[in-house]
Amino acid sequence: MKNAAALASFCILVVLYPWIIRGTYPLGVGIITGALAAGTVGFVLLLGYAHQLALGQAGFCMVGGYASALLCVNHKWDPLAALLVGAAAAMAIAWLVATPILKLRGFVLAMASLALHLILVVVAFETPFTGGALGTYGIPKFGLFGLHLASDLAYYYVVWTIVLAFVGIGLAVDRSRIGRALKAIAASETAALSTGMDIRRYKVQMFVLSAGMASVCGSLAVHYLRAMDPNVFGFAFSLNFITAVIVGGLMTVWGGVVGAALITGLRELLRGLSLPLWEGVIMGALTVIVLIAFRRGFAGFLSLLYDRLFGRQETPRVALVEPDVSALRPIANAATLEVRGAARSFGNLRAVNGVSFTVAAGSVTALIGPNGAGKTTLFNLVCGYQPLDAGEVTLDARRIETLLPNQIAALGVGRTFQNLQLFDNMNVLDNVICGGHRHLWGESTGREKARAALAFVGLQGAASLMPGELAFGHQRLVEIARALALEPRLLLMDEPASGLNDSETERLAELTLRIAALGITVLLVEHDMRLVMGLADHVVVMHHGEKIADGAPDAIRRDRAVIEAYLGIEEHAAA
Amino acid sequence: MDLSVFVQLLLPGLTTGCVYALVALGFVLCANVSGVVNFAQGEYVMLGGVVAAFASSQGIALPLAVGLAVLVGGCLGALQERLTLAPVRHAPDFIQITITLGVAVVLRGVALIAFGKDPLSMPGFSGDGVFEIGGAVVALQSLWVWGATALMLAGMFWFLMFTDPGRAVRACSINLQAARLMGVDAERLTLFVFVVAGATAALAGVVVTPIVLANWDAGIAYGLKGFVGAILGSFRSPLVAVLGGLGIGVLESFAAGYVSSGYKDAMVYGVLLAYLLIRGGVFVFGRAALLAR
Repeated sequence: MKNAAALASFCILVVLYPWIIRGTYPLGVGIITGALAAGTVGFVLLLGYAHQLALGQAGFCMVGGYASALLCVNHKWDPLAALLVGAAAAMAIAWLVATPILKLRGFVLAMASLALHLILVVVAFETPFTGGALGTYGIPKFGLFGLHLASDLAYYYVVWTIVLAFVGIGLAVDRSRIGRALKAIAASETAALSTGMDIRRYKVQMFVLSAGMASVCGSLAVHYLRAMDPNVFGFAFSLNFITAVIVGGLMTVWGGVVGAALITGLRELLRGLSLPLWEGVIMGALTVIVLIAFRRGFAGFLSLLYDRLFGRQETPRVALVEPDVSALRPIANAATLEVRGAARSFGNLRAVNGVSFTVAAGSVTALIGPNGAGKTTLFNLVCGYQPLDAGEVTLDARRIETLLPNQIAALGVGRTFQNLQLFDNMNVLDNVICGGHRHLWGESTGREKARAALAFVGLQGAASLMPGELAFGHQRLVEIARALALEPRLLLMDEPASGLNDSETERLAELTLRIAALGITVLLVEHDMRLVMGLADHVVVMHHGEKIADGAPDAIRRDRAVIEAYLGIEEHAAA
Repeated sequence: MDLSVFVQLLLPGLTTGCVYALVALGFVLCANVSGVVNFAQGEYVMLGGVVAAFASSQGIALPLAVGLAVLVGGCLGALQERLTLAPVRHAPDFIQITITLGVAVVLRGVALIAFGKDPLSMPGFSGDGVFEIGGAVVALQSLWVWGATALMLAGMFWFLMFTDPGRAVRACSINLQAARLMGVDAERLTLFVFVVAGATAALAGVVVTPIVLANWDAGIAYGLKGFVGAILGSFRSPLVAVLGGLGIGVLESFAAGYVSSGYKDAMVYGVLLAYLLIRGGVFVFGRAALLAR
């Protein structure tokens, strides 16, 4: 709805602008705004969605600008072909740079892209074929399929049509599973990994996409400027991108369009007032103020205004209802997990020291032990959140100890977290839809599967609520539903009963049995002995990083070593 | 290879390297205590330079001009932290980092408006003379740069190793969260390191100005080259960061002398890019990458 309103206002404003404000100068401003908007739409995807700052985005504008300038002037290429070649080159460079660099933490991409940009500037200055400091002149006007666009008005509409197409791409990304994944990653990288999302891959994709759009921005701009030199797209132009996107609004691609218009307007205003030196201070101050005071920017403000005017009704709160046990179908391919000689040390502390056990397909196995026994570390080794020092982990005879958490999840291993890790920026249903990420389902299938998983845990009424609006115990259930939406063959639950009251714990036990009844293998890490003894077919006991017992619950209950570990020797003797 | 040419390139390289080293150190300190990479770090060097050069051109005595520049650097560091970072302490990292960039742009812009587009010059502290060493001719001012840097590094070393707040900073670099749980007052410590980083960067900017001039747009290059040093130390080791900064200065000087002065920046940034690509891509596989992050 909101997008339709935005689209309608966009079209009306863009179409009417040249007819309301006539003249070559305003039309030129309109063209430059459009060119900038083509780039900033992509930059929203990078900064607002992938949360990556790039300080050298103008470097990709240079790639597009020079591709258009040199190919059209020296080789008489068709402008559209040159534009596409430039975009492809920019995307290839972005991919080559980002793929390794996004493995590193600490906003390294920001500086790396700046370094890349400054290298391009030096190369443009120093090499003869770019025209050096003088640049390249006589760039033809833009054309489409051999048709030259003689009038600036026609070019204006072409530029804004491209912007509209880019907005369409941005909105499509927003609605796709990639967009949902990026939102999930922004909320909790740990939980995103547990649903099989490849964090780096999506960030790289956004960097590549934004680079392509920046290159198109460069091409469009030079066909209007008719000249290209190394200073056209300098550091200040990168800053324009950043300020535009922040002032316009980071949360939606429309923010890129709004921001481009605001920034260009502001620049022309300062020029009109003969205060061009103030541009930097004002742009920087705007960036800082908007980020501190109203992070959603101008588009966010408009969206808020829209809600105020045409406000939606409050969704009714729905409590837990009877779970629908038939909502999920049983599976036939439960997985067997085998851990052999797993070891992991932190400094001198051997948290897990040569532990071996098997979780049989279709069983409910519990991993228990006193505080500090190494249960959670072992759990993280199995799920891939920490590397093993030694030993191996196999899933149905397939070695998985070197795989990353998302790769393990993609094999059908679901998990829940001791400290809840829900995506607090999306509602309950979307949280659960994220669980099905690995399946490449379409939107409606994903929705259907998620609703089924919610019904299975008894939360079908809470679909449209935000996780924060639910009671703690219900949030736990959302996490379990998310893990079930992954259609796991093995479900790992990390202390699911912690923080739950007695009746909630009882309900959790029932739910666990229902999950086991579906045929899913369950591995439970738990503190609560009563819960474990009632649920598990098989119990593994750890103490000081080592396995001390392994067997059926009844045998474990009588095991001397277990009793000593839990109660201490003396107390046992006294009893 | 001619030894005197080598020395002639090495020594000025060390001089600019001193500035990069101090910037790198500022990056590391701020990042460890606040968790924020402060993109405005290089701008404090620029500000120190333009403030001192402007003050001395107005006839203010040298020690006063230096003191003023350092004061400006320290106060702006404090202001940056209080006004723009303290209010968003719990915002996502990318927001905080983008804010530091906005601050950098404001600082550049203010310098442009206040001091103009033209580079400012400043006389050497002990005149504009030169001295000869190993067949190379070096500006006397280099001695001031080396001396000031050595003094600041020694002070920083003493601070980090033998004072309580220094130990707290080191604790933060090992485990920020644990340090906070142990009672490290992160608020005060953050303010403190921003002041120190701002003041030292400004002083570096002052002492180097008689050699390289002070220009409103020099901050990015100082920041980026200092960043290379900080990256080499993984934003953790102050020592590696300092050595990295010095190394970048020397590399830059050699690139300019032996290859081409036009390409010197491209080569330094090329080294940064190559280093990052190798660290990220070539030797890091599988789950080990998790730890590297």
